[in-house]
Amino acid sequence: MEIDLLFFINLFLDTLSYWWVIVPSIFLGLIVGAIPGFSAANTIIILLPFTLIMEVEVGLIFMIALYSSSRMGAGIPAILVNIPGTAGAAATPLDGYPMTKSGRGQQALAISFVSSTLGGLLTTVLAIAAMPILAKVGFYMHSVEMVVVMLFGISLIASIAAKDTLKGLIAGFFGLMIGSIGADHVYATPRGTFGFLEFYDGVPLIPALVGLFAVSEALLVIEGESVLVKKKQIEEDHSSWNETIIGMKIAFKHWWHITWNSLIGLVVGVIPGAGASIASFVAYQQSRTYSKTPELYGTGHPPGLIAPESANNGVTSGTLIPLLVLGIPGGATAAIMMVVLQYQGVNTGPRLFLDNPTLGYGVFMAMFVTYLFMLLTIMPLSRYMSRVTLISTVYMSPLIISFTLIGSYVPRTYMFDMYLAFAFGIIGYIARKTGYHVAAILIGVILGPLLEQYMLRALKMSDGDVMVLFRSDLANVLWIVLVVTLSFPYIMKKFRSRKDTPPDKPEGQENVFAKD
Amino acid sequence: MSAFKNKSRRQFLIETAGSAATLGMVSAFGGISSAQAASFPDHNMDVVVGTRAGGGADRALRAVSSVWKDYLNTNFEPAYFPGASGRVAYEVYMGKRDPDCYNLLFGNMGPELLNWVVKKPTFNLDDFMYFGRVDTDPCCVFVKADSKYRTIDDLVAEGKKRKLNVGTSRMAHPASVGILAVGEKTGAQFNLIPLSGGKNTVAGAVTGEMDFSVLTSGSVIAAGEAVRTLLVFNDENVMAAKLNNAPTMNDHFGTDIPPLLSARAFGIHVAAVNKYPDRFALLQETFKKSVQDPAFAPAFKKAKGTPEYINYGGIEECRKYAEEITELGARFKSMLSGKA
Repeated sequence: MEIDLLFFINLFLDTLSYWWVIVPSIFLGLIVGAIPGFSAANTIIILLPFTLIMEVEVGLIFMIALYSSSRMGAGIPAILVNIPGTAGAAATPLDGYPMTKSGRGQQALAISFVSSTLGGLLTTVLAIAAMPILAKVGFYMHSVEMVVVMLFGISLIASIAAKDTLKGLIAGFFGLMIGSIGADHVYATPRGTFGFLEFYDGVPLIPALVGLFAVSEALLVIEGESVLVKKKQIEEDHSSWNETIIGMKIAFKHWWHITWNSLIGLVVGVIPGAGASIASFVAYQQSRTYSKTPELYGTGHPPGLIAPESANNGVTSGTLIPLLVLGIPGGATAAIMMVVLQYQGVNTGPRLFLDNPTLGYGVFMAMFVTYLFMLLTIMPLSRYMSRVTLISTVYMSPLIISFTLIGSYVPRTYMFDMYLAFAFGIIGYIARKTGYHVAAILIGVILGPLLEQYMLRALKMSDGDVMVLFRSDLANVLWIVLVVTLSFPYIMKKFRSRKDTPPDKPEGQENVFAKD
Repeated sequence: MSAFKNKSRRQFLIETAGSAATLGMVSAFGGISSAQAASFPDHNMDVVVGTRAGGGADRALRAVSSVWKDYLNTNFEPAYFPGASGRVAYEVYMGKRDPDCYNLLFGNMGPELLNWVVKKPTFNLDDFMYFGRVDTDPCCVFVKADSKYRTIDDLVAEGKKRKLNVGTSRMAHPASVGILAVGEKTGAQFNLIPLSGGKNTVAGAVTGEMDFSVLTSGSVIAAGEAVRTLLVFNDENVMAAKLNNAPTMNDHFGTDIPPLLSARAFGIHVAAVNKYPDRFALLQETFKKSVQDPAFAPAFKKAKGTPEYINYGGIEECRKYAEEITELGARFKSMLSGKA
C-alpha cells in the first residue's frame, strides 16, 4: 500500500464517517475529564467489556476520542471553579481561574478550547509527519536528561517566590517534603508515612490536587455570595457570544505560543513515563520566562492559560507514538489501548505501519478528526458553561466539596483519600489566608517525587557518582538551556532598565560605562 | 521468610486439616452435595486484588472468574488495592475482611512473597495461605532487538569487565533474584535498577538506558520484535518460539535454582479454611475445574494472557513455590534491600 496524499485523504474521509462514535465519545470524555479522579484511563477500563466487543476501528476511535476530549475536559473545572480534573491540568487554573474571577470565564474557556484543539491538531499532524524521528526521542531522554527537564518545572517555584521570596520558598519546600513521603524509589523503604500504608506509594495526587485547589477554594468562596463580585456577576449574566469570539481571537493571536508549547507537550509525551503534568508545568515556566510581561502571570494572563492547555494536549499524541512505533505505551491510557489492540489481534510495534498502515496512521487521523469535531461541538458550550460561576456559593461550595471528595475516592477507592483531600483543603485554606502560594506547594508535590525518582535512578546507575549528571551531551545542552532560562528574566530586566534610563543622567556616570 | 520456609509439608496440611478432610470426603462421594452448593455462596464473592484495575492480574482474574462464576453460580467483585507493591492489599485483606470464604485475595505470589522477605507484614504469615494458582509465567533476561549482546554469554563476559545496569520491575522480584543468581554463579557484576513496572522495564532495555532488563516472559512476549530474549528462568522454555529459543538458566549454567515465576494465585484466611471447611472445599474443587475447563484457555488468551502458561496449582504446589521463592529471596535479601 502506497502512503501518499491520497491515502491520507481517504483515511480522513473514512474517519469522518465515524462521527457517530466520535461525537458521543467527545462528550463522554469531557464529562470524565472534568470530574476529578476520573480519567480516560479508568473510563476505558470500566467500559473495557464494551470496547472489546466493538470492531477494532470503532473501539480505537472511541478510545482516542475519549482520551483527547478528556484532556480538554480536565481544564473546564480548573478554569471555572479552580478544580483541575487531572494532574495534567494542574497548571491551568494558575491563570484560568483568575480570568474567571474577573468575569472572563467565557473568554478563558474559549482560549482553552482553541489552545487545546490547535495544540492537538498541530501535534497530531507533526506526529504523522515525523513519527520515526519522534519515536527516537525516548532513546535519548534518559534519567539524567529527565532530571534537568524536571528542574525546568520545579524552577517555577522560584518564579512564584519572586513576589514574596520567603513564603514562596517555604511553600515550595513544604510541597517537596510532602512529595518525598512514601517508599523510596529504589529499595521501597517507607519514609514519612506516619505508619499509614496508604502513603507507601507516596501522597496520591488527586486528593492533593483537589484538596489544595478545590476544597480550599470552596472554603474561601463560601465567605462571599458568589465566585464573582456583584459587578462581574451582572456582566457574566449579560455576556454574549462576543466573549467567546474575543477569547478565540486572543488564542489565535497567540498561535506561535500555542505552537511552541504544544511542541513541548509532544516531546514530553513521547518520553516513556513522562506525562501531561510535567509538560504543562514546563510549558508554563517557559512561557513565563520568555514573556515580556512575566509579572502578569498568575493574574489572569491569557498566555498563562494557553501554555499549559496547548502543552497537555500535545502530550496526547506524543504518548501514542512509542506505543505504535515501538510497542511501548507512553502512559496509562496508552497501556490500556495496547491491551485492547492486542485483544483484537493487532500487535503494535515497528511492523504495525508495514502490516496495517491504515490502522497505524488511522489512530492519529482519529485524533485529528476528534480535535476538529471538538472545535465545532464544544466551542458553543463555552457561553453556557461559564454560567456555572453565577451559582450561589451556598450551593456551589458543598457541591465542589462533594464532587472533589468523591473524585478523591475514585482512583484508589480508599476512604483515606477522602480524608486526605479534606486535610489538604485545610492546608490550602490556611496557605491562602496567610499569603502562601498553593501552586508552589503543588509543584513540589507533583514534580518532587518525579525528580527524586530520576535522580536516584541516575545515581544508582553510576554507583552514586554525582558527575553522571554532566556526562551526557544532551543533558549538558539542557543544563545550559536551563541556566539561560533561569537567568533570562534577570538579563532582560537589566537590559530594559538600562534602555529605560532617562537620557538626562549625570554625564559622569555615562562616561564611566563608556570607558569600560 | 520463616513462615513458609520453616513450615513442613505435614505441618501445613495439619493446619488446613479441616479442608483436607472435607476434600477427601468430597472425592469419596464424588462432589459437593447440592445442599452445600445451594447454601454457599449465596452472594457475590469479594476479591481483594493487589494491582491496578486493567493490569495483568486483573485481566487474569476476570478470565478465571468468567468461568468460575458458573461453577459457583455467583459473581466475583474485585476491589483493587495496588499500593506498596501489593502490601496494602494483603494488609487490607487480613485486617479488614471477614474470614468467611466469601473474601478472597488474588495476588502475584512471586513478587509479593519477596516483599515479605524484605519487610515483614503486620499480620502473622501463618494466618494466610494460597490455595489456587492460575498460571506460572517464568522470568527472563532480554535485550533490545539490535543489541550488541547476542547471547547470555556475551552479557556475562561484559559483566565480568564492568558492572552492567539491569532494568527490573522492582528490586524484590523473582527476575531480580534470577539475575543475581547468574551473577553469583558466573562472577559477572549486575547493578539492579528498579524501573517501577513492566512497561518501564521494557522501555529501559529498548531505549538503551539499561544494558539489559529482566522481567516476566509474558510481558516480554507482548513487547514483540522490539526485544530479544537471552535466558529463561525456568526448567523448560515453554514459549521457545516466541522467546528466541533462549536457553534456560539451569541448563545453561548448570545451576539448580527453582523456576523463577510470576504465579498468580488466590489466597485466603487460614481462619476461614478452619471455620468453614465445606465452603473451602467447594472453592478448591470448583476453582480446579474452572482452570481446567476448556473455556478458560480462550478466555485467558483474550485477556492477553499466555495460555501456555496456564498451570493449575493447589495448596501443595503453592506452598512449595512459596517455600522455594522465599528461601531464594532470603539468600539475596541484603542485595534486594540495599544492605549489601
